[in-house]
Amino acid sequence: MSTTRSEWIKFRSVRSTIMGFLFTFVLTIGLGALITVAIRSHWSQSGVADRLTFDAVSTSLAGTYFASFAVGVIGILFITSEYSSGSIRTTLAAVPNRVRLMLGKLIVLALSMIIVSEIVCFITFLMGQAIYSGVVPTASLSDGAVLRSVLLAGVYLTLLSVLGFAIGIILRQSGACISVFTSILLIIPLIIFFLPQSWQTSVAKYEPSALGRAMMSTSPPSADFGAWTALVVLVIYVIIVLGVGTTMLVRRDA
Amino acid sequence: MLKIDHLTKHYKDTVALNDLSFEVKPGVVTGFLGPNGSGKSTTMRIILGLDHANKGRATINGTNYADLKAPLREVGALLDAKAVHPGRTARNHLRSLAASNQIKKSRVEEVLQFAGISSVANKKVGGYSLGMSQRLGIAAALLGDPQVLLFDEPVNGLDPEGIRWIREFFRSLANEGRTVFVSSHLMSEMAVSADQIIVIGRGKFITQGSVDDLTATATGSVLVRSTDPQKLTTVLEGLHGVVEDVNDHAMSVGGLTSDQIGRAAFDAGVTILELTPQRASLEEVFMDLTADAVEYGGSTLESTHRE
Repeated sequence: MSTTRSEWIKFRSVRSTIMGFLFTFVLTIGLGALITVAIRSHWSQSGVADRLTFDAVSTSLAGTYFASFAVGVIGILFITSEYSSGSIRTTLAAVPNRVRLMLGKLIVLALSMIIVSEIVCFITFLMGQAIYSGVVPTASLSDGAVLRSVLLAGVYLTLLSVLGFAIGIILRQSGACISVFTSILLIIPLIIFFLPQSWQTSVAKYEPSALGRAMMSTSPPSADFGAWTALVVLVIYVIIVLGVGTTMLVRRDA
Repeated sequence: MLKIDHLTKHYKDTVALNDLSFEVKPGVVTGFLGPNGSGKSTTMRIILGLDHANKGRATINGTNYADLKAPLREVGALLDAKAVHPGRTARNHLRSLAASNQIKKSRVEEVLQFAGISSVANKKVGGYSLGMSQRLGIAAALLGDPQVLLFDEPVNGLDPEGIRWIREFFRSLANEGRTVFVSSHLMSEMAVSADQIIVIGRGKFITQGSVDDLTATATGSVLVRSTDPQKLTTVLEGLHGVVEDVNDHAMSVGGLTSDQIGRAAFDAGVTILELTPQRASLEEVFMDLTADAVEYGGSTLESTHRE
């Protein structure tokens, strides 16, 4: 508890956190508005096939793909800034139990991320439906699948932030972490794209952004996992990386 | 009390600490002296549980640092004054530390006041001068009102006024019965600020004692003025004395006591005009003791030319 309080003071008292949340808001809501407006204005020209597969939820939440970099950086900097400034030594002198330190940081990051991401996702969803209404078919939160998709969109952002944090524990350098994190979200899908078709269908669904797509879609394509399975797979990823990171944190010299 | 017990630490191929043992007692300022790279900071980091020793352990009143429930209430440390997130204010930095060890918020204001940085407490630490950062580091070390205090090279970068302030501060902490352990590579600084001195070199214990003890053990030289320096030199060298700086007036004799020199001069019929034992400065003692233990020694240009 005392560790969590201490970490909360640290988390909220630096500009990078505030900026990270600001970017999350701007990217998710701003790009959400842009994309939904574009869809609305081109709706009359869209074909029957497009209209049949149209997903009012995931299209309105498309900005989360861009926000995922912002939340990743929030998680990364929460730990790497301690190494770049050297304050990790002060931190560990105050809390020598490193597992406890990791848990304290994790609780602060995960709790604040889930609150912020859920607020952002619900605002973006409602805004998107308001923009669609009258022209494009809209979705309603009273539909269970819709509510689940919007909720899981916030969970997806939170898990990505924790993934960034876990990578940060392992690599300790902000630059290296941001490259790795970006590669996971951008380069891996690209590599998979160039694989033979038969491999693609079996591998692509495991890739993190595909998991995100599955989590925030009301009717995921058959090649992807179901929303809940995707959530479980992503959680397993995060636990593995966090486990490796924590082991290294405990064993290594600070 | 701080106890270092057979500490050994390797970093890849280099041996940072080699079976190092010593004790630091409360009530006095203990200086931790050694050339650069001799293992002082490594020792400090192991005491604080930041680095893991390969062998041996460091304990505070018999307990490993990592096992302390609220370590800041027992040990205060200033390792690197600049090791604070530059974007955070001093007040928030101290508040986060206080929260982690369940120290009252009001204590943060007390230590800010004591260190003289209350007026800049809401400024970001990144803009602090080294002197201000040192003061913040001292405030952080005092936060938990600990009985044991560690300072790694605390006078580095301080102005003369700051140095005097910090010396008096160490003295007052020791007078309150606390354990004060201060590392430095500057023997002149330790000579004035420490009561007890522990000397290490290349990760090994060299010696321990008061400033007086250390200078007394060193073989000082004797300043000799005589009527016939040439003759006396021959005589003293016959007794295995080391005669240096011979000129018309005086010479410096090592390896012999003033009694031995006086008698030898009498036997040889040389009149002694002055016979003064020279007390070795702590600096000389230190150079002497660590001569073999300097990791990054500089050689003179002359000697390389001769090759």
